[in-house]
Amino acid sequence: MKNNHIKLYPLKVLLAFVFVFCLLGTELLLSVKHIALNPATFETVTETQQLDEKAYTTLESYFRSRANSTGIPAEVFLNPITKEQLRQGTLDSVSDALAYLKHTSDSYEFRMDFKELETSITEFFENYAEENHFQKDEIYQQKITSTIAEAEKEILFIADTFKFSTIHENGWLEKARHYIPALDRFIMIALGLTILTGVLLILICLKNIREFLYWFGISGMTSGILLTAPCEYLKAIDYISGFIIKDPQIFAAVVGYLNTMLNHELLQGILTIAAGLLLLILFAVLSKKIKN
Amino acid sequence: MAEKKAKRPVLIYSLTGIFLLILCVAVSVAVLIVPYEKCKTYLNIVFMDQSMKITPSAGLDGLVIKENEIPTEPIPVSTENPENSGDSDIVQTYYDQGEIIRPSFGEQYAILNCDEISLSVPVYWGSSPELLELGACQASSSVVLGETGNVVIDAHVNTFFADLSEIQPGATVTLFTTYGIFTYQVTEQVRFENTNKKYVLPTETDRLTLYTCEAQVLGTSSTRIGILCDLVSKQFYNPLQDGESS
Repeated sequence: MKNNHIKLYPLKVLLAFVFVFCLLGTELLLSVKHIALNPATFETVTETQQLDEKAYTTLESYFRSRANSTGIPAEVFLNPITKEQLRQGTLDSVSDALAYLKHTSDSYEFRMDFKELETSITEFFENYAEENHFQKDEIYQQKITSTIAEAEKEILFIADTFKFSTIHENGWLEKARHYIPALDRFIMIALGLTILTGVLLILICLKNIREFLYWFGISGMTSGILLTAPCEYLKAIDYISGFIIKDPQIFAAVVGYLNTMLNHELLQGILTIAAGLLLLILFAVLSKKIKN
Repeated sequence: MAEKKAKRPVLIYSLTGIFLLILCVAVSVAVLIVPYEKCKTYLNIVFMDQSMKITPSAGLDGLVIKENEIPTEPIPVSTENPENSGDSDIVQTYYDQGEIIRPSFGEQYAILNCDEISLSVPVYWGSSPELLELGACQASSSVVLGETGNVVIDAHVNTFFADLSEIQPGATVTLFTTYGIFTYQVTEQVRFENTNKKYVLPTETDRLTLYTCEAQVLGTSSTRIGILCDLVSKQFYNPLQDGESS
């Protein structure tokens, strides 16, 4: 009986070792699917980091500075643009990018409604031309077109706080798109392996059934520590705040998003440790009861 | 004896837990070390700002603007004349080669004067919309005044460089810094497209390039106008220290 127990010990350690990584992999893959690629996560970051406020301030600073070289007052561009429009623009950019990534849309193109902006710029040019007897020739039309195009380009650039357009232009969104359908398969494989190793551990411990609580307990704790320790380290040194892009809205969006992910992984790790600890306590209590 | 026997499983269970943790950590480190080494360079670039960690305020983006007191008149230096004891002469000594003080981004490091158009404007090192509001900006890719090469300075046409096109060849442009005075003579007026980098690229000879946007009634212009100047004199306040080269 005792010999059998010793013989099975290395196998139990091996199964526990596999179980740790299967559990860790399942947790991480589920986080990618349900947290990292969830529009609600981006929405939360947009709200908590006040991205619309920051984007509007950047836009204001840009058009006020441009007024020096263009002679067009910043209000011509700023009056038709609201913070709500910028917030909606940010969220639309996220939902469009996620739809493209998840194959529910065939292309990614970030657009905003600029009808009011176009009217405002055209009206300004019209009034200016009338007041100064400016000839409305081809050059005049070109000026209006180029001013509208430049303004729209800048607003789209600033409203796309999570920079999905830049990611798309560099081809990274398309690369990621290839791997997203495989995510569900990977989750199923990792989950299947976790269940399989768990069942095997239970089967091996059948002769001393309460022992599986111990193996699940230490596996859970180890898995939790492997997840918590690096997250805690990154949080302690505030590594993410070293992000190099200092444009207020981009910095807040990227750092806010990464911190949300980090906090989530930290919580997941702590909960796994707690679950493992609970199983170990249960095992100790049951062992003591049987002895008594 | 019975107590010892009872303690044994507890010890084994504890050691097994520690062993499993060490094993998993060791395997994780071994597996992740190669991808980490590959990503390290990119991570260092993306999260390189570990020393500063400034949460950018809207508008300034971490930019630190520094103003300096820059003399535009000769600095009075009092020296005792040994031949006329008791009298003191005001003597300003200049050096052809001298000590250059490198500015930091956003620092005002010169004052540009051109009497022909009554221009006197502070020059900031580096270029950003905030600095262009305050004065002229020198591209940090060009050489510092005093070094050999192309000194490239630009400003808005609606503010400081409104009359740049009126400066004629032969006019004098002077740049005062905290470490010396640099005098240039205008040789040529130029007009170029913003995509043409010919005039802003480094040169092997001493040159000063001043440029701005071409004035337009409305909207932005893709055409730039500027002046090219040759160095006439360098007057450093302090000589080169031993071992330094200009």
